[in-house]
Amino acid sequence: MIEPASGIAKVEQRGEPALELRHLHRFFGRLKAVDDVSFKAWPGQVMGFIGPNGAGKTTAMRILATLDTPTAGDAFVCGYSVVDDPDKVRRYLGFMPDSFGKYANMNVVEYLDFYARAYGLKDAQRRDAIEHVLVFTELRKLADKEINALSKGMSQRLGLGRCLIHDPQVMVLDEPAAGLDPRARVELRELIRLLASEMNKTVLISSHILTELGEICDSAAIIEAGQILAHGTIDEIQNQPQRGRLKQRRARLLLVRIAAGSDTEQATSRLERWLLEQPMVKEVQCAAGRAAFEFEGDDSGQQQLLQSLLAAGHPVIEFHGKTQSLEDAFMNITRGITQ
Amino acid sequence: MSTGEKFFRLTDLLTDRLNPILVKETRQALKSRQFIITFMLLLTVAWLISVFLIVLYGPAVEYGSAARGFFAWYAGVIGFATLFVVPFGSFRSMLAERDQDTYELLSISTLTPRQIVNGKLLSSVVQVFIYYSAIAPFIAFTSLLQGFDFPMVVLILSVGLLWSIFVSMIAIMLSTLSNSRQWQAMNTIGMIALLLWQMSMAFALGAAAFAESVAFDSEEFWWAMICSLTAAGSYFLLARQITVSRLTFESDNRSSGIRVITTVQFWLVWAGVLAYGYWYGVINIEGEAVFALAMMSSLHWMIAGLVFSTESEHVSRRVRRSIPQSGILRLLIAPWMPGGRRGLLLLTIHLVAMVSIGGIPYWPDWIHKLVPLPTWSDPVCSSVMAFALYVYIYVGFGAALGRWGQAITPEFRPAHARVLTILLAALAMIFPYLFYLLEISHWPRFDSWTRVTNPFSALELIAASDGGGTSRHPELTLVFLFMLSVAAGLIFLINLKSMISGVSELLSWQQTAELDTTEPIAEWADVAFEEPSPGDA
Repeated sequence: MIEPASGIAKVEQRGEPALELRHLHRFFGRLKAVDDVSFKAWPGQVMGFIGPNGAGKTTAMRILATLDTPTAGDAFVCGYSVVDDPDKVRRYLGFMPDSFGKYANMNVVEYLDFYARAYGLKDAQRRDAIEHVLVFTELRKLADKEINALSKGMSQRLGLGRCLIHDPQVMVLDEPAAGLDPRARVELRELIRLLASEMNKTVLISSHILTELGEICDSAAIIEAGQILAHGTIDEIQNQPQRGRLKQRRARLLLVRIAAGSDTEQATSRLERWLLEQPMVKEVQCAAGRAAFEFEGDDSGQQQLLQSLLAAGHPVIEFHGKTQSLEDAFMNITRGITQ
Repeated sequence: MSTGEKFFRLTDLLTDRLNPILVKETRQALKSRQFIITFMLLLTVAWLISVFLIVLYGPAVEYGSAARGFFAWYAGVIGFATLFVVPFGSFRSMLAERDQDTYELLSISTLTPRQIVNGKLLSSVVQVFIYYSAIAPFIAFTSLLQGFDFPMVVLILSVGLLWSIFVSMIAIMLSTLSNSRQWQAMNTIGMIALLLWQMSMAFALGAAAFAESVAFDSEEFWWAMICSLTAAGSYFLLARQITVSRLTFESDNRSSGIRVITTVQFWLVWAGVLAYGYWYGVINIEGEAVFALAMMSSLHWMIAGLVFSTESEHVSRRVRRSIPQSGILRLLIAPWMPGGRRGLLLLTIHLVAMVSIGGIPYWPDWIHKLVPLPTWSDPVCSSVMAFALYVYIYVGFGAALGRWGQAITPEFRPAHARVLTILLAALAMIFPYLFYLLEISHWPRFDSWTRVTNPFSALELIAASDGGGTSRHPELTLVFLFMLSVAAGLIFLINLKSMISGVSELLSWQQTAELDTTEPIAEWADVAFEEPSPGDA
């Protein structure tokens, strides 16, 4: 089992963190929704906040957004405490909840105009902010459209635009891609990437679509049952040691693919039999010209295995170790605990 | 830049100075079906009324006092719009913010809760003015008829406007009292009933003002107006403060503002009585007036005191950071700082003040010679004292109950203490009749000491005067007051330690920037830190 992370995220420190959770606790009665969570994020960083349903992601994000107060501990946005200075935190933070309400009888520009006023923007500053958001989110063409008539994808863009209207340094996005079609997801992903790379914003983003997070995040924190189980850069997370049986045996997962021919099934079955006869090979699973198995040897053992495989006449066209994806890492790290 | 663009730029600049909620709500209202329908209906109904009344009056419209009849109808129409439609719209508007999940986004903007409340209220005022402007041509028409009473029209329209603003504020406050959908549904039904009731009251008052021409030159009329407006104004501010507190972030101070306003209200009433007596040199103020004011003050402190004294004791770091450094200042502001123990202290101070004012006739002669203070009869003095003692006994017991409950289980919430106190008070009230109801004994005699637990019954006895300003039951009054004083003294002793600790805690708070961020900062922390959750197993 992986030890819970105890310190600060092992990402490269760049000056003061824009976002920091310090021993954050939030209890609802006896339920520990957030239990001693600590991590930091720096300007220009996109941080994934990953966890199963009910892990405490939304609770932590709501505390950051000053919608809730911690039971103990604190969170800081640009150095301001969410408990002591929520009004200052609000100036530096943009929050996009997983679902947000829309006003009736209001078009896109009026919606943005209202929030610009609500954040104290006046006159030219307000007009410029609205224009900038319309251009950035590509909502210019829909400026006069009623917000209740927008598609889900466009609504999410509008939500992102609302977050950006006061040009916050930190953005907290709770499941922004939920319910979007693939195209809208890709477009949203691009927008988020631009926020960090071109506008130097710190983005904390939660999502269930881990492959996407893997593509846009520099770092991630994995939370389960209110506790941070792992955090660090995406590489560090993906290279987390295996837990469970694999870890005990010091085994590695290998994949083999053989050339598809007229009798792939027979070739697959021959490969399976051969693999099962090898001393350091366990847990062989074969299907349609592919084999996945655990190998308990080291690098030289793996080299010898490949040589033997070829020598035995198997038409090998692929032979490699399986790298953990963020999804694998997530499955590996989390324990499936629900609260 | 075209003229149109210049105009829009100018309006943009002007609206920059306005409350953002007001701008948003006005934009929405102008597009909303409800507003357009109400506006058109108002115009149509007013027009139909005009036609109907012209036909009804016939040639008599030129003579007599047709203007009064016309105006009464128009006032009814505008009254429905401004006293029902507008306040209900305000109520729905605030509820909708929560229902449609828009409130959270609003609350994390840089708008303060006060700005949000003001914005909602101002948009109601704008609507009232729009409806007034719609009815204005009809009232202008009425002014051409015989019997048009201009001062009366101004009075009714002005009072109607203020009434509408007041009711809208109450509606906004009620909409924030509950977050659960079930309660909101109940709230909505209650709101409709309340609006219908207050509208019928307003109409009845308006009709009475019409029937008995208002004496604008009467001093009493203006005193009554000043008193009513002051009372309404103070309750308007209280409602606004409660709403602001309901919307204020959890780590902020939600209590002190309400405490200050309730204190000012109390002192306004009694300062008014003393000033009235001083101004007019009234030595014997009518006992009934003092009795009524004492009853109102008791009710005021019964409700406010119960809320304050059962408040959560948790005070956030943010609030602690905001208190003054000076020990003397901290001591002085202690009763107005959040927390149940300090709430009970506030109540204690004010009930002592009420008893002291009620006992003015017993103040030393040299004070009466120095300042011409009003006096009243003995039964009134006893009643004021009894009122204060009853409030202290019931609320003080509730406060102790709250603390005991918390000591037993942290799941015992302030609301539990409040409900339990109300139930116990109700039980105490029926106590004298309990044995009769259980068929154990006869109906208690008028002068039975068992009636002491029921304030209404006891006060009836204490206040009974022989007409000469002395009590008809002096011995029993003394017995009752003695029993109540002993009970109040016990309650005071039970709560004394906690009141002292409430103040000493305030004096000891550190006001440093480097507060420990790992210390529990919410009231549930103690339970959760101590006991492992099922997930930890």
